[in-house]
Amino acid sequence: MANENPKLAATQAARLAGKKAIRSYARKLADPEDIKDLNITPMMDMMTIILVFLLKSFTSSATLVNLDQNLSLPPSQTRLAAKQAVPVTITKRVLLVEGEAVAPITNGRIDPQLKRDGDNGYYITPLVEMLSKVARREKKVAEVTGQKFDGELTIIADRNTPYRLLTEILYSCGQAEYANFRLLVLKSRE
Amino acid sequence: MTTRQVRGRMRRMRERFEEAEEEHIEINLVPYMDIVTNIIIFLLASVVNQVPLGTVNVSSPTFGGAGGDGQPDKPALNLTVTVGGTGFTLAGSGGVMPPIPKLPTGDYDYGALTAKLAEIKKEFAEETKATFNADAVTSYEIVVKTLDAMRTYKDEKDQQEKQLFPDIVFAAGIL
Repeated sequence: MANENPKLAATQAARLAGKKAIRSYARKLADPEDIKDLNITPMMDMMTIILVFLLKSFTSSATLVNLDQNLSLPPSQTRLAAKQAVPVTITKRVLLVEGEAVAPITNGRIDPQLKRDGDNGYYITPLVEMLSKVARREKKVAEVTGQKFDGELTIIADRNTPYRLLTEILYSCGQAEYANFRLLVLKSRE
Repeated sequence: MTTRQVRGRMRRMRERFEEAEEEHIEINLVPYMDIVTNIIIFLLASVVNQVPLGTVNVSSPTFGGAGGDGQPDKPALNLTVTVGGTGFTLAGSGGVMPPIPKLPTGDYDYGALTAKLAEIKKEFAEETKATFNADAVTSYEIVVKTLDAMRTYKDEKDQQEKQLFPDIVFAAGIL
């Protein structure tokens, strides 16, 4: 008995030590001390919401204008914000409707051959044709959406555009049923 | 429990744990996060650098009668502001006013134009329409500045910005 008891005690001690080591290892596996991966899902949620918000505000800005040496807008003290409308752009070199070139401009004048009544005429034929197409499309859209066709244009003109050219363009726009104009300007507080 | 048994149990435990980890795989969101961060920085930069744009509303002349139901005792103003080579000319139903010459610096006297229009506005408080006309060579910048001078003025008494003639119509022809 005396010989058996120390043996039994040693076996039990070894078993206990073994179990203790296993438990300790299991705890170590279950709770690693160093964090392997940071949970970035909430951050992703937040960033996606910010992205959607910024994209929305970016695309809903009324007019995107590329200002360069051929197009510099005049300053104005207006407080009216820019609104979405068909853009007619008058640069130093070209006249554009919705970003598509309609007629070249040389020294602040449209080529007389592009005007119905020659040099003294106001009717710029390609501009009227292009705007008539746009007006037909806008009317169809207005009809489908149940809104009223307001005949509004945004005029984006270079600050040195002569009044004669501006008048010719506004007259031609009027011939294509566009009679209300929003002159796009740079807001200033001078 | 022998050392061998303990090691065997630990190995099995580790294998089970690794199997469980392999089953629970997460999508690697880091590349997506990189893209989103770049787009956000780009969008924020473009929003900050956005040019402040505004509009000035004008319209083409409309044709047709003035309407027969108006008050006959109130004559129409028919105010026309013309930008000429030497300065501004104001005209109305009553006749043509003395011209507002350019400043000695060669600039147009927008302040004097606003002051004169404010005087007219006191007489015709209800009127909001005015016609604009200019020389063929007048630049668009001068046109916009003149329209600014025609639209609002600052009242000296209460320092409030008040409307002058905000409904501006471009004349059918030019000078």
